Amino acid sequence: MWFVAFANLVNFQNSPNLQNRENLENRQNRENRENRANPTYSHDIAPLIADRCIVCHHEEGSAPFSLETYATVKRHASQIVQVTRKRVMPPWKADPADGPFVGQHPLSDEEISRIAAWVEAGTPEGTAEPPARSSSTHADRWAPGWQLGKPDLVVTLPEPYALQASGTDVFRIFVLPLPVDRTRYVRGLEFHPGNVKVVHHANIRIDHTPASRALDSADPGPGYSGLILRSADYPEGHFLGWTPGQVPPLLPKEMTWRLDPGTDLVVEVHMQPSGKTESVQPTIGLYFSDTPPTKTPAMLRLGRQNIDIPAGESHYVVTDSYVLPVDAEIEAVQPHAHYRARDVRGDATLPDGTTRELIHIGDWDFRWQHVFRFEHPFWLPKGTRLSMRYVYDNSVTNVRNPEHPPVRARWGQRSSDEMGDLWIQVLTRTEPDLVTLTREFRAKVAAEDVHGYESEIARDPNDAALHDDAALLYLELQQPNEAVEHFRKSMAIKGASAAGHYNVATALALAHRLDESAKEYEAAIAIDRSYAKAHNNLGNVRLAQGRTVDAIAEFAVVAKLEPRSADPLENLAQAYAIAGDFDRAADTIDRALRLSPPEPLASELARRRELYRQRKRP
Amino acid sequence: MPKLLAAVLLTLAATAPVRVVDLENRAVDPFQITAGAKAAVFLFTATDCPISNRYAPEIQRLHQAYGNQGVRFFLVYPNPADTPELIREHAKAFGYPADALLRDPKQALAKAAKVTIAPEAAVFVQGRLVYHGRIDDRFVDFGLDRPEPTVRDLDEAIAAVVAGKPVPHPVTQAVGCYIADYAR
Repeated sequence: MWFVAFANLVNFQNSPNLQNRENLENRQNRENRENRANPTYSHDIAPLIADRCIVCHHEEGSAPFSLETYATVKRHASQIVQVTRKRVMPPWKADPADGPFVGQHPLSDEEISRIAAWVEAGTPEGTAEPPARSSSTHADRWAPGWQLGKPDLVVTLPEPYALQASGTDVFRIFVLPLPVDRTRYVRGLEFHPGNVKVVHHANIRIDHTPASRALDSADPGPGYSGLILRSADYPEGHFLGWTPGQVPPLLPKEMTWRLDPGTDLVVEVHMQPSGKTESVQPTIGLYFSDTPPTKTPAMLRLGRQNIDIPAGESHYVVTDSYVLPVDAEIEAVQPHAHYRARDVRGDATLPDGTTRELIHIGDWDFRWQHVFRFEHPFWLPKGTRLSMRYVYDNSVTNVRNPEHPPVRARWGQRSSDEMGDLWIQVLTRTEPDLVTLTREFRAKVAAEDVHGYESEIARDPNDAALHDDAALLYLELQQPNEAVEHFRKSMAIKGASAAGHYNVATALALAHRLDESAKEYEAAIAIDRSYAKAHNNLGNVRLAQGRTVDAIAEFAVVAKLEPRSADPLENLAQAYAIAGDFDRAADTIDRALRLSPPEPLASELARRRELYRQRKRP
Repeated sequence: MPKLLAAVLLTLAATAPVRVVDLENRAVDPFQITAGAKAAVFLFTATDCPISNRYAPEIQRLHQAYGNQGVRFFLVYPNPADTPELIREHAKAFGYPADALLRDPKQALAKAAKVTIAPEAAVFVQGRLVYHGRIDDRFVDFGLDRPEPTVRDLDEAIAAVVAGKPVPHPVTQAVGCYIADYAR
């Protein structure tokens, strides 16, 4: 016992949050002294509830009942004592020593015992004088209508979704086209759930492709059930989403994100049935700026996709870490896991060995997935190790376990599967630093995503889209042999096609398996004789094989197929030069230049023509 | 001896005159209106209690399963703020039968049934309390619930009564809104 107390003390003194804790303790001591022997509603309770509870607990608020009057508070008095004592309410899952975070307003121990004392005393109302309004701004955040002001664009789900009366959590993905006629820069987004009694939270992404839209139209009824696609992502390092009581602030003008025409908003809504059929029709307001951003954050993601938890395992640990290659300012964090996660932690270990806790949630609840935005973002030097450690309980003792009896749980996006991610939003000092960080981080994430795809494919081996995505990831990771296998499987599922053979051939070429690659390009061309890209790549394979004459033949076909493009002629000229036919090489460049190619290609072609005339190769 | 004493007290509580009111504000003896039934099931609820409301589909299921086996079901509203108008609206929205609604504004039946929570169930056989407690174990605490119940206590209790067997767990702990707050 002594040892534990001592260990806590050491942590406490090393904590960068020491100052906050001291402030908290001083405040609590002061409050304790001021604590009155006879608490009343009007003097002691109403201001507290106005400050911490009413943001959700008002008429039409996201909470199930209002706490705006003496009568309504009294009617829930015992429940308020219970939920505050257990810190279920207000719903703030992070360790109070973390942060401070934007919008954080946990109750102090004194405030919790004040409520209990008031209920114990028989919930006296006190004087009828109007309760003093809190100096805090929390109480003003629930004005009706838009919290962030009048939006520049409002989109509403065209047709309401009918939520079933019974059962557990329901997830539905809605795809909302954003009707913008030109590129806009987004400062913020305000989500209105459309039915506050059942909508629990929303994950929001943007999709530049029509892929999400296609899934939506294939599924009867509004939205679709399934997974958020790889093409639907956070925009340029920004979090999007909604949890009750939280309205993400407007971004500073220099940190907007770009929205191009044709982009869809992908909104995954988490709902809890109420006991009767409910109609859900979310509305989203967007706030624009006309100037492009000058600061772009990066979104880092720690986490594992090889999660595989045996049935009954009560202490399964997932860890990951990443060493910052550049200085980074930490803006916000968001842990993500499903029902089996119990303890969730993210830390930063500086090069000098000191540690700063980013986030710790000792009683993880999948239903409260906040984005934790630091009130005071802070710099971490290059060489800092960002790390995460999540503990999972897949036994019967975990009440929230979605399977009873427990079953093996593997990584997957469905809520019955498991995930373990820690998203960290950072800013860099310079643009080159951002490029370095993004490039290095991309490789790490791609390596992890491959695990995820392999596990999804293991469960659903006949999903061609999964094989195609996996193959592209392997190419990004410079593992072309694995890409070949996935492209082949995709084609086996979808049936032979010119594009299918082309994909296999390209991966084979990158693996330097030239003979096999040439056969696949030939197969693509046999299906589609006018497949210019296949002819061109086959030409390059022929060059690499030393079969220059065959290469010339392929490039000549491309030049015929694309008579107005200079690029095929450049390749053809190069093949002639390799064959030693410099005159034809120079003539071919002449032909290319007559097509008036754009700069810098025109200058490059002129340079090459000069070299060919001197019988030199570029 | 303490066991025997408890049994005596139960009998006393149940036989003391208890009055609830119907939606026309007429006083009703809940045991008289269920006198011929094999069992009387009183389900305590409140119009604005979300946990109570989430049990509506389960209550309907039990009513369908046992309603034609001589078991009578009544929804009981112990909150005096739940007016007949609010209750009619509520019953319509959640699919409760209009002729099975009782008000208990002085919590008289709640006391007799030893019920303290909404939602909580009480099962009487010939005026004798044989079960009171949760409907099932789905809700463990505030903010902590199972995706599916693992034990359906009320179902088990009714099934036992219908089969003429003793109720396996006569008392369980419910989670939800506190009826004591309605008396403040």
